[in-house]
Amino acid sequence: MGLLSILIFLPLVATLLILALPASAKAAYKYIALGFTFVQLGLSLYLYGNFNASLGGIQQLDAYQFVEQLAWIRLDLGTIGKLEIDYLVGVDGISLPLIVLSTLVMLMGVGASWNINKSPKGYFALLMILNTAVIGIFSALDFFLFYVFYEVMLLPLYFLIGIWGGERREYAAIKFFIYTLLGSVLMLLVIVGLYFSVINPATGAHTFNMLHMMNPANYVDGSFFAHIANYHDVFGIPARLVGFIVLFFAFAIKVPIVPLHTWLPDAHVEAPTPVSIILAGILLKIGGYGIIRVCYSIFPDIAADTNWWIALIGVLSILYGAFNALAQKDLKRMIAYSSVSHMGFVLLGIASLTAEGVSGAIFQMVSHGFLSAALFFLVGVIYDRVHDRYIYHFRGLASLMPKYTAYVAIAFFASLGLPGFSAFIGEAFVIIGAFNAESMSTGVPRWMAIGGSIGILLSAIYFLWTLQRMFFGQTRLQGGVAWQEALTDLNTREQVILFPVLALALLLGIMPSLIFGNLNASVLQLIDLIKPYL
Amino acid sequence: MNVSISNILDQIIASIPLFKPELSLIIGFIVCIFTALFLEKRWKNSTFIACMLTLGVALYHLLAQLSTTGTGFSGMWLIDPWSIYARLVVLASTGIIAIFLQQRHPKNNGDIYAVLLATTLGIHVLSATSNWLMAFIGIEMVSIGSYVMVGYFSRNKAQSEAAMKYVLFGSVCAAVMLYGLSLVYGLTGNLDFTSAAHLKGLIDAPQAIITLGLLFVFAGIGFKLSFVPFHVWSPDVYQGAPTAITAFLSTIPKVGAIILFARLYQSWSSTAFYFSELSSWFIIIVALVTMLVGNLAALRQQDVKRMMAYSSIGHTGLLLMAVFAYQDIFSYLLFYIVAYVLMNLATFIFIDEIEQQTGSTSLSSYAGLGKKMPLLFTAFTLVAVSLIGIPPTIGFVAKLMVFTSTFSIFQSSGGTGSLLLLIVGALTSVISLFFYFKIPLYAFLRGNDNPIPSVVNRKQVSVMLFIAYLLTILVILFGIFPNWLMEMVS
Repeated sequence: MGLLSILIFLPLVATLLILALPASAKAAYKYIALGFTFVQLGLSLYLYGNFNASLGGIQQLDAYQFVEQLAWIRLDLGTIGKLEIDYLVGVDGISLPLIVLSTLVMLMGVGASWNINKSPKGYFALLMILNTAVIGIFSALDFFLFYVFYEVMLLPLYFLIGIWGGERREYAAIKFFIYTLLGSVLMLLVIVGLYFSVINPATGAHTFNMLHMMNPANYVDGSFFAHIANYHDVFGIPARLVGFIVLFFAFAIKVPIVPLHTWLPDAHVEAPTPVSIILAGILLKIGGYGIIRVCYSIFPDIAADTNWWIALIGVLSILYGAFNALAQKDLKRMIAYSSVSHMGFVLLGIASLTAEGVSGAIFQMVSHGFLSAALFFLVGVIYDRVHDRYIYHFRGLASLMPKYTAYVAIAFFASLGLPGFSAFIGEAFVIIGAFNAESMSTGVPRWMAIGGSIGILLSAIYFLWTLQRMFFGQTRLQGGVAWQEALTDLNTREQVILFPVLALALLLGIMPSLIFGNLNASVLQLIDLIKPYL
Repeated sequence: MNVSISNILDQIIASIPLFKPELSLIIGFIVCIFTALFLEKRWKNSTFIACMLTLGVALYHLLAQLSTTGTGFSGMWLIDPWSIYARLVVLASTGIIAIFLQQRHPKNNGDIYAVLLATTLGIHVLSATSNWLMAFIGIEMVSIGSYVMVGYFSRNKAQSEAAMKYVLFGSVCAAVMLYGLSLVYGLTGNLDFTSAAHLKGLIDAPQAIITLGLLFVFAGIGFKLSFVPFHVWSPDVYQGAPTAITAFLSTIPKVGAIILFARLYQSWSSTAFYFSELSSWFIIIVALVTMLVGNLAALRQQDVKRMMAYSSIGHTGLLLMAVFAYQDIFSYLLFYIVAYVLMNLATFIFIDEIEQQTGSTSLSSYAGLGKKMPLLFTAFTLVAVSLIGIPPTIGFVAKLMVFTSTFSIFQSSGGTGSLLLLIVGALTSVISLFFYFKIPLYAFLRGNDNPIPSVVNRKQVSVMLFIAYLLTILVILFGIFPNWLMEMVS
């Protein structure tokens, strides 16, 4: 068993341990979860440290690192051929930063769950299953395995939102589930289609191996998704375009793009703080990751054809999310919409098909991952204390909670893209990439870059305006004296969680090479894969 | 053909070894009648033991047939992998049902075992023949046995009504089927639907008569499989019958019927003539409508057993899709059957267990029960996940294989029908999420406002629950390692 498998299945051990312990050991659950996620973070950092940055990955298996390959399912299906499913995991420069991010955010999530009293056994067990699924998604290189992890992720989330959520938790949980499942069952059909179109050159059997799907030479002539001589269509639309659209649709729901984003504000508002942290910090990234790893790598020809539209969707998400954030009265909803806006940059960056843009998109994913986690954690702080988070119910919090105000201010400034913080690097690279796209003739016009810049401006407006409304001026609270007493400043646990994250935002803002260094080879490889079709 | 009596006798005697499992069922049936009449009073459970012994002996003889093939009784009896594995599934699940009956209805239950064995015999006949006469006898044996079982424990009006409805609907369908068979026989002069003479007769026959004959025949099979529009009996019967009987009805008879239908479809769709085209369009349309109606109607149900009735209609649609996509390897159809049987048996045991504790099968009575019975509802949720078809469960692998084979047909022929099947199959799984997830929704997400007092607070370990957990473990295990099951059946 390799390091990567240990990283994936370690939380499952924690789940079993938690389930095996009797209810009298209630207090131990969170320590078990904390311990295991801590080990995971250490392990992922070890992987990150030992990563060979010169290897690209993407469609070459030998350029992936920490690879493990085991034959998993081999079925003989007669004329349909042999079913070949592998347990194949490995990382390249695109997945590894996201794995490190996941372990970090997961640790924050466990830290934020410290005060969960409602059936902690189930809670931490589900959290750890979710943890396994997430790391599995980022490391799976076999489409079947990827799909299994992708679906397994849904179940714990449904229960985490549905049981530990707020007032309208049932609605939010099922809405989230339906949206994602709708995307993923259609994805399953495309997976089956790809399976029939692709042959493993080594064995001659059909395969679910994603890397084989990325190589045009492995496609059977005349098969459904064949590269050349493909006359298949679905209701008049060429088959490969349909495949790309369906996969994009599945992942775009996760990102989320406008207009498929409506599950996100509901899920965030109803979810308990730790789940919001994980949702924003990790799960949205699965959407972006899926688009890069699956849509763009398996359908590079279509990606090159459609990138104008995808960039447009990105710009629309940036602007629509920002305007919506501006109009929100609920602090958590505002941050949820700001996520929509910030994830729009990821889409714009990917669609620019330039090295700067794609690197910026991945950097933005990492940066948004821990920054949005920090923001949701900060919302959770006041919500824990007074069970209210309406922006207009608070005023002048600065004099009441000075430390908290300082952290919020830093987090807001970092998120709105102040130079020196990580979000600036991500957004700046995306904008640069989008600007250069026209000169590289990848099909993304300059005005889209300008649209993205306007999004940055809007994010400054809604963050600063919120800061002003809630924290400055005379102290005036909706709940009166009772609230004044309840609103104590940050305690040590909260600071221990927040400080490293904001420090990381600063660190990455000053030394972006920490991420770019490991990313570069893979991004260039991806661009090379798509370039011939431009 | 030589029809001298001695030849026929030779043929019959030579065929006896192929008929051993069924012979043991017949003997067991008679033994059960006797024990129920004479021994049951003095020695409780003697009929149950006789029934289990019979099943054991039949299983033993069936296992001896593994990896043999042959035909007996002048081609009326087929021993091939289909019939062997289908009968294995049937025997194993009948055993579970017998235990179920013994646990839930300990009193006055003697005759039910005899009926159970007779019904099982009928299903065996269904899954091991391609002869219309045998098929009709099989269908009638299953039907009559099922009528008795539904009404056997009836205590109130609803249960008697369910039994009555079942009998009426069943008899009409059987009559219609018989009429259709007479037409088919008249056209072809041959009762074996795989024979060349039969197919030739169908090719030559006028279209209007064929249409009528085929649709009438399908009506009879449709009743057993409860596909739309012959499904209307199932929700009432499922709800009205005791849960143990519902568990039986929803699983085992369908195994026999689907095998028969698969054989029929395979031989009838093999030509390029009118009746083949008619059969494939029939199966496509019925599969589509059945999936849609089953899943959409299930959305509105408030009673778990009724909901499961519609759910099993929806699954019948997928089974039909599997029959449609059948090519030359039967394993994935069998895989779906095994998955379906595992999931449904587990579900009904859970439903029954909860009914024992709360006295209710309505979904709203599950509110807040997740806290009281965490293990049961966790397992129940896992089975529900499998019924939807989400990994890592057997339901997912089964669905994936059906999609895979349908897709390969779509890729090679590009028909709109197969594409529609794929899309509707995928979309109905999303729809099914809504109603299957009502179970965990009520159990875990809803609080319990007015606590329902437990009717019986039994402390002893329930045998049925143990079996259900075992089934749940199998559901997960075969979901992660489908190889194990596939290697067994191929």
